Amino acid sequence: MTNIDVVLVDDHLMFRAGVRASLDDSVNVLGEADDVDAAITLVRSLQPPVVVLDVHLPGGMGGGGAEVITACADLLGTVRFLALSVSDAAEDVVAVIRAGARGYVTKAISGADLSDAIHRVAGGDAVFSPRLAGFVLDAFGAAAGDIATGDDELDRLSAREREVMRLIARGYSYREVASELFISIKTVETHVSAVLRKLQLSSRHELTRWAAARRLL
Amino acid sequence: MLCVTTERLPLRRPRGGRWIGGVCRGLSAHLGMPVGVIRLVMVLLVPVGFTGPLLYVWFWVTVPAGDPVQAAMDQRPAALSRLAPRLRDPARKLPLTDIGVGLVLVIGASVLIAVRNGADITGTWVLPALIMLAGTALAWSQLDAIQRDRVRSHTGGRTPVSVLRLVGGMVLVGLGIFLLVGRNIPLDDLLQTAIAALAVLIGAALVLAPWWLRLVRELGDERAARARESERADIAAHLHDGVLQTLALIRSRSDSAEDVARLARAQERELREWLYDDRRTPGTSVATDLRAVVAEVEDTRAVAVDVVVVGDAVPDAGTEALLQATREALVNAVTHGRAPYSLYLEVVQDQVEVFVRDHGDGFELSTVPTDRFGVRESIIGRVVRRGGTATVQSRPGRGTEVHLCLPRVSEGER
Repeated sequence: MTNIDVVLVDDHLMFRAGVRASLDDSVNVLGEADDVDAAITLVRSLQPPVVVLDVHLPGGMGGGGAEVITACADLLGTVRFLALSVSDAAEDVVAVIRAGARGYVTKAISGADLSDAIHRVAGGDAVFSPRLAGFVLDAFGAAAGDIATGDDELDRLSAREREVMRLIARGYSYREVASELFISIKTVETHVSAVLRKLQLSSRHELTRWAAARRLL
Repeated sequence: MLCVTTERLPLRRPRGGRWIGGVCRGLSAHLGMPVGVIRLVMVLLVPVGFTGPLLYVWFWVTVPAGDPVQAAMDQRPAALSRLAPRLRDPARKLPLTDIGVGLVLVIGASVLIAVRNGADITGTWVLPALIMLAGTALAWSQLDAIQRDRVRSHTGGRTPVSVLRLVGGMVLVGLGIFLLVGRNIPLDDLLQTAIAALAVLIGAALVLAPWWLRLVRELGDERAARARESERADIAAHLHDGVLQTLALIRSRSDSAEDVARLARAQERELREWLYDDRRTPGTSVATDLRAVVAEVEDTRAVAVDVVVVGDAVPDAGTEALLQATREALVNAVTHGRAPYSLYLEVVQDQVEVFVRDHGDGFELSTVPTDRFGVRESIIGRVVRRGGTATVQSRPGRGTEVHLCLPRVSEGER
């Protein structure tokens, strides 16, 4: 595995130190920032492949992690964001994802899993925690009757995407999902990326309401 | 005023970037339009009966100064709402009595007008006085109603019904006064007098309006401040009760790693519930009951379980049995399996599903002796008796997953 440079953004010094120590050797921490303004400056000057950032950050206009991503929207092709938070609130999660983050993990994640998630995000894939998969199922409706028929439909999940989301919500890793559904890991990643895109672009009422609660629309 | 989440930024006059009073900038933030367009419209409205400046002055007087983004943050509900769709509150009934009273009064008024134009009856002052009284009662009764509404729904402010009551009451009182005063005056004179009186009233209202508006706003601000204050006191009390005591306990037992982990886990769960969940009464939500079950297992077995819940329902006998089976499955997983433990609950229109998963070595159900009560009776039996299905899937190296599925009997409560 190639080494990857990341920038850590979190307002708690103790937590940054903890993350830095738990990451494995394949991840180099290039820099750290502790509020919105410092994060924007740092990301703009370093342009790291991956930024790991907290949802709640002081400073700026009060928009937290989502504000950092919005301010760096023109870099989204080269810099990828992974949100890391203790928050269980849907509006926090949905806000950063809709702003452009490629994944969302909770702070209880182990160092090895976080390093893995960073590599995944750097490779252009999406990272879904079980809880994020739960949010997706909540937002798009878990009932089987509401199924997308075409690929271009943004407001509904396809049957396969729903299956993948349900397995992730049940605690399956991508590898386990792949072997459960008899598909390749690459296909699982494609489905997850498609769901991420829907999560970002869909105008489903629940999503827009959650995002509006964080003043992003 | 407390719990309104509007999609737009509230109307405020920002202090930065203003040319005169910040009205155009505030409007642009509120409407989501560029400030240049608003300014252009204002200027274009000058030749049209001087509406632009008049509108501007009106907004200047009525719109409070302040940062719209900040105001929007202040309006965010203090308790963040939960993910699952809320169970719907019972719909409010039509105010039938109010409508009835209004109808009677309108009929009374029309009768009176008819009497005035036709034959005169003795004691003509009685009816006008009655109408005045009724109007006053109607207008005043809405004060009480607003109070009640606020307590019930936290909407605050004025509802259309209360405005209707106020206007209706005022119209009735005015009618009563005119009929009373103008008993012996010809209709033409009465009309002129009415117009003059109306003009005076409007003039007085215009003079007093800014002062009255400010009073209202100050009252609102004060109320909001008080609400924030009580929320803060609530938070402080909670932090003191829960978090600080737990921290003190952790410090005193720092030599026992297991105790520390248990205390920290319990406190984290409590704090999360308090910060991110709707606090709902027990017995109204399957999701809440499930969390209570998980909490109990986590505390007694000193483990952490990853819980994901999609949807929610009102508990019934079926979900009760399902939760008991879930508890047994979870205890089983914790006893025989290995971390991480995952629990997934999904409630849809016609069924409730639970998945309990561990990452242990797994086991073969057929190898479990029939006299072992655990899996067969307390997990599978419980669900099957309620018309559901229960399957245990276990593969070497992939852990064990228990799948419970129960059809929902009653529809309509979602």
